[in-house]
Amino acid sequence: MTAAVADRPAATATGTAIWWRNNRATALLLLAAAPALLFLLAFYLLPMMLLLAQSFEGGSLKAYEKALTDGLYVRVLIDTMLIAAYVSVICLALGYPVAYFLASTRPPWPTIGIIFVLLPFWTSILVRTYGWMILLGRNGIINRFLLDIGLLSDPLPLLNNLNGVLIGMVHVLLPYMVFPIYAVMRRVDPALIAAAEGLGAPGWQIFRRVYFPLTLPGVLAGVTLVYILSIGFFITPALLGGGKVIMIAVLIETQVRQFLNWGFAAALSAVLLAATLLVYVGLRRLFRSDLQWS
Amino acid sequence: MAAATPGSDEGDLALAGVVRRFGAVTALAGIDLAVRKGELLTILGPSGSGKTTLLKVVAGFEMPDEGEVLLGERRITAAPPSKRDIGMVFQNYALFPHMTIAENIAFPLQMRKVPKAEIRRRVEDVLALVDLPGLGGRLPRQLSGGQQQRAALARAIVFGPRLLLLDEPFGALDRKLREQMQLEVRRLQRKLGLTALFVTHDQEEALILSDRIAVMEQGRIVQLGSPEEIYRRPATRFVAGFIGESNLFRARVAGNGYALLENGVGVPLPPGAPPEGSEVGLMLRPERPKPISAGERLDSVFSGEVVETVYLGETVKYRIRLNPGLEIIVRWPFREAGESLRVGDRTTLGWNRDDLHLVGWS
Repeated sequence: MTAAVADRPAATATGTAIWWRNNRATALLLLAAAPALLFLLAFYLLPMMLLLAQSFEGGSLKAYEKALTDGLYVRVLIDTMLIAAYVSVICLALGYPVAYFLASTRPPWPTIGIIFVLLPFWTSILVRTYGWMILLGRNGIINRFLLDIGLLSDPLPLLNNLNGVLIGMVHVLLPYMVFPIYAVMRRVDPALIAAAEGLGAPGWQIFRRVYFPLTLPGVLAGVTLVYILSIGFFITPALLGGGKVIMIAVLIETQVRQFLNWGFAAALSAVLLAATLLVYVGLRRLFRSDLQWS
Repeated sequence: MAAATPGSDEGDLALAGVVRRFGAVTALAGIDLAVRKGELLTILGPSGSGKTTLLKVVAGFEMPDEGEVLLGERRITAAPPSKRDIGMVFQNYALFPHMTIAENIAFPLQMRKVPKAEIRRRVEDVLALVDLPGLGGRLPRQLSGGQQQRAALARAIVFGPRLLLLDEPFGALDRKLREQMQLEVRRLQRKLGLTALFVTHDQEEALILSDRIAVMEQGRIVQLGSPEEIYRRPATRFVAGFIGESNLFRARVAGNGYALLENGVGVPLPPGAPPEGSEVGLMLRPERPKPISAGERLDSVFSGEVVETVYLGETVKYRIRLNPGLEIIVRWPFREAGESLRVGDRTTLGWNRDDLHLVGWS
């Protein structure tokens, strides 16, 4: 009994030592991540909490009631989600073949291709959006050209409408679709493709039954990323939509800048955040069983 | 081109004059080979011998630069893999990870537009055949290595292919499981009467499994024969060294039935030796030399000192330095502990001329 008691402190000391040995890596990593964590805490999480608090001004849910029942705001929220969906689908349709090209050509083409995909990243989004205005306007380069060669008699409505917004957003967001898909494609085992071929599958069946399902995790990652980024887009729809395409971020900005209605802007932001999270969780659910098979 | 006559009823799979080059490297330097119906023929060779290229040419993943490939009556030299009717088991099985085992096995049947009800029946049947009943609903990653191997085999045979290709399929399994799977594949292949081409670098595996073995070296088939022929009468020094363990002595044929070893000692040769002055390799399998007991007469007798012993269970391998400065490896049945030799022991051993097999040295 006495021996056991005498052993205790020693045992605890050993316990601490063992704990430290097992968790040292985690503890050190946490320490390394601490500056970024603190930054996010102070300049992201805290302001967000303050904003959320403002949305319940005077302890009432009035702002939320307005945001969720007023036809205008509901309409804009739905439009925003629809536009985000269009952008995701267009990015997927354009990005998947690009990713396939990058993943399947021989050097040096992948490197060259990746530089081209990244190129827009190195230009300011504002500059790119103004660039599109010059290209897409009624008297823009594209319409001028098509009119001059006689292909059109009236200019195409490319700017200050949904077309312009979609073109601009797809341009900005395409890399976010290409890279996740590309990363997954590179890990697809070529032996599986050979096996499908040897078992009698023609090219399109190999794609439909084997290749595409194996790249679905990348597709999911790309779609999620593009969709979520689209929902909160501001500059591009504001400039290329010409006031006719209202996305929720534009609306929030108006509430703050023009009406100084912080409470309502905060409520709209909260609704937007909730909608984003819902979509994210929904997409993950949808593909959950197929997420990983390596 | 006599080895593979197009359309001959003997060769179910026939290759005639197949050449494949990669830049300056000739991977296949004129392959003539006929695999008989229902036969399991093994392509055996070290890495870089061209065996994998040969397999790819048969499967359709590589086109030969010259020559023809025939499957039965059909020329398949330029046919795409999907049109060849060949079942293949890949090195790492290549099971589709996103499909269940049943879906994997159904895949080749779906590609052949087999009716659904029949697909279900045939998948069940083949699962029972490979001893995986009830596991059709699992994903490949939920199966053990051996089970994945069976599933891959089931997928390769379910559609009744003309030919079964096995590309080093046992490499990933541990030794005990490997032996079990080898025998099982052999049993299935016999039972179904499948013509099979098996590629491996493992000579032991080749000896266990094959009806015939084709040994490849530098893009050529250097010997084709039954496992016993290959083991007992290797055609070249390379085959002698590659298949099984052997002692290989360089010698010069000296006339009146003798050859001189490099150290000048004369050794009686078996009949049919090449002319006097030829350089030959004398191959002696480790199990052939016998320890000499008093009064026994053997053609060649040496005494020497044990320098290394390796206990192998049923047998013991000894490295013995013979008096005239030669080293020899022998493998003898394990005797009771007191009788077995130890390092430093002296012993006398010998062999008869018929125990030797002659191969060209160069």
